[in-house]
Amino acid sequence: MTAEPITLRVNGQHFEVTVPPNRLLLDVLREDLRLTGSKRGCDDSSCGCCTVLADGVPMLSCVMLAASYQDAEIATIEGVAENGRLHPLQEGFCVEGGAQCGFCTPGIILVAKALLERNPNPTRQEIAEALSGNLCRCTGYTQIYASVEHAIRKLQEAPVGSGKA
Amino acid sequence: MSLPPFMLLRPRRLDEAVVRLADYGPEAMIVAGGTDVVPNLRAGLFSPRALVDIKGIGELGGIRFDPRSGLELGALTTLTAIAESSVVQEHYRVLAEAAGTVASPVLRNMGTLGGNLCLETRCLWYNQSTVWRKACGFCLKKDGTVCHVAPGGERCWAVWSGDTAAALMTLDAEIEIASPRGRRRMPLTEFYKNDGMDRIRLGRDEILSGVRVPARLAGYRGSYQKLRIRSAIDYPLAGVAVAMQLENGICRDVRLGLTAVNPAPLLVREVGELLRGQRFSPEAVEAAAHAVIRTGKPLKTSVSTPEYRRDMLRVFARRALTRLWSSNGGH
Ligand SMILES: Cc1cc2nc3c(=O)[nH]c(=O)nc-3n(C[C@H](O)[C@H](O)[C@H](O)COP(=O)(O)OP(=O)(O)OC[C@H]3O[C@@H](n4cnc5c(N)ncnc54)[C@H](O)[C@@H]3O)c2cc1C
Ligand code: SF4
Repeated sequence: MTAEPITLRVNGQHFEVTVPPNRLLLDVLREDLRLTGSKRGCDDSSCGCCTVLADGVPMLSCVMLAASYQDAEIATIEGVAENGRLHPLQEGFCVEGGAQCGFCTPGIILVAKALLERNPNPTRQEIAEALSGNLCRCTGYTQIYASVEHAIRKLQEAPVGSGKA
Repeated sequence: MSLPPFMLLRPRRLDEAVVRLADYGPEAMIVAGGTDVVPNLRAGLFSPRALVDIKGIGELGGIRFDPRSGLELGALTTLTAIAESSVVQEHYRVLAEAAGTVASPVLRNMGTLGGNLCLETRCLWYNQSTVWRKACGFCLKKDGTVCHVAPGGERCWAVWSGDTAAALMTLDAEIEIASPRGRRRMPLTEFYKNDGMDRIRLGRDEILSGVRVPARLAGYRGSYQKLRIRSAIDYPLAGVAVAMQLENGICRDVRLGLTAVNPAPLLVREVGELLRGQRFSPEAVEAAAHAVIRTGKPLKTSVSTPEYRRDMLRVFARRALTRLWSSNGGH
């Protein structure tokens, strides 16, 4: 098994890394690219902490072989803030106390971001369902739902990219 | 934990993929969404020389429905796409429900139908890390000589733990299989061997390329009931799928499938014989539920007890049949 050069597109940037084919995207992100926002929370692909977006779709980077995702646009938590401004979801987690230990937060924000792009006004039940595969052991989820709802309100007032503050 | 070493092949065409599989023979393994293969590789359960990643094969995608010929699903269709498909929801309800209960929402975005129908069987003694398995004593299925579930025998009872197969069986689904020799079709009910060690009738150079569901079963009422530890994430510990056709309250046709209690998903054919031509009655439902627990044979392969899983089969059979048969809406 020899390491081979691969090209990944992460948060809009191109990266060339030389990795063996058994290297998981999660490890490339964390160790080769130093994007440590995506977490390894379990060892059986059941916790959701390593969630990234591939072409806008939430996926577990601990299941993805890095070399298999060279054609996809990968987004991690590091790419969610734009020009130094927090995304309304990130702001929501600050205001509503949606993060405690913070381990699950990157995955949850990415799943919520993908949800709001498809459905800008989800009910609490829809939010709960979308996040049901992302385990949080601290918050009891109530503050997480409130954080997402904060973002829904903010996005309705001023959609991201609208130029309004 | 990191994965064992392997070569990664990424064919773009089906004919190329089956040739690569033939080249590597028993040393090759197919990976689609990877949601079953990768955790198993991490647990040290397989050591393939080559992984053949089929995700880039465009011809294996897509959902097509035609009222005359029925439903066609490519092997790479994700479970999310099936669960959310309006044609599947409208015409083949039991399949939409089953697909919508697999794993978690994020895993359903990755997991494919082909992978779901070809899953590795599961057992408490098998789906563990090498360290765990070594400490508790390796078992027959991997590296050992005895079965911890049924120590007297020579068989492995690891359980079929997929959700969509039982639902598709109730819909008379057929699968299409591609190999270097061409394509063949077989009824899904014949695909499974009911052997924990050697689960499916698929050659080393074959790929499950698609699934067909006949038009005849479009519009059947459907229900899928599932037991698991965490209802948002886990594999099934027992599952019941029902598809039913009613006419003025009379059961014209009914099929009931079981999963996660035997080494294969199974149809309980007796249920059809018992209920066809009848009007709803609690006694008829009870007779069907009884046939169900005679077929389902859960053993100590999971953290939940066999008794509880068997009881839940009865509950699910009653619940699904009552819901579909005694109401007008069907769901
Ligand atoms: C935490 C967790 C929970 C889960 N819960 C469930 C659950 O509740 N219900 C459930 O059904 N599954 C569950 N799964 C398993 C899995 O997510 C799904 O079954 C999924 O559909 C598998 O598809 P895949 O494409 O990821 O398969 P892969 O992992 O890519 O492959 C699975 C198996 O099928 C073979 N294979 C894949 N595609 C083909 C093909 N086209 N032709 C021939 N062989 C093929 C592979 O070689 C492998 O043996 C769970 C997984 C995890 C990690
Ligand atoms: S049923 Fe027996 S042989 Fe099969 S995996 Fe479980 S313990 Fe091992």
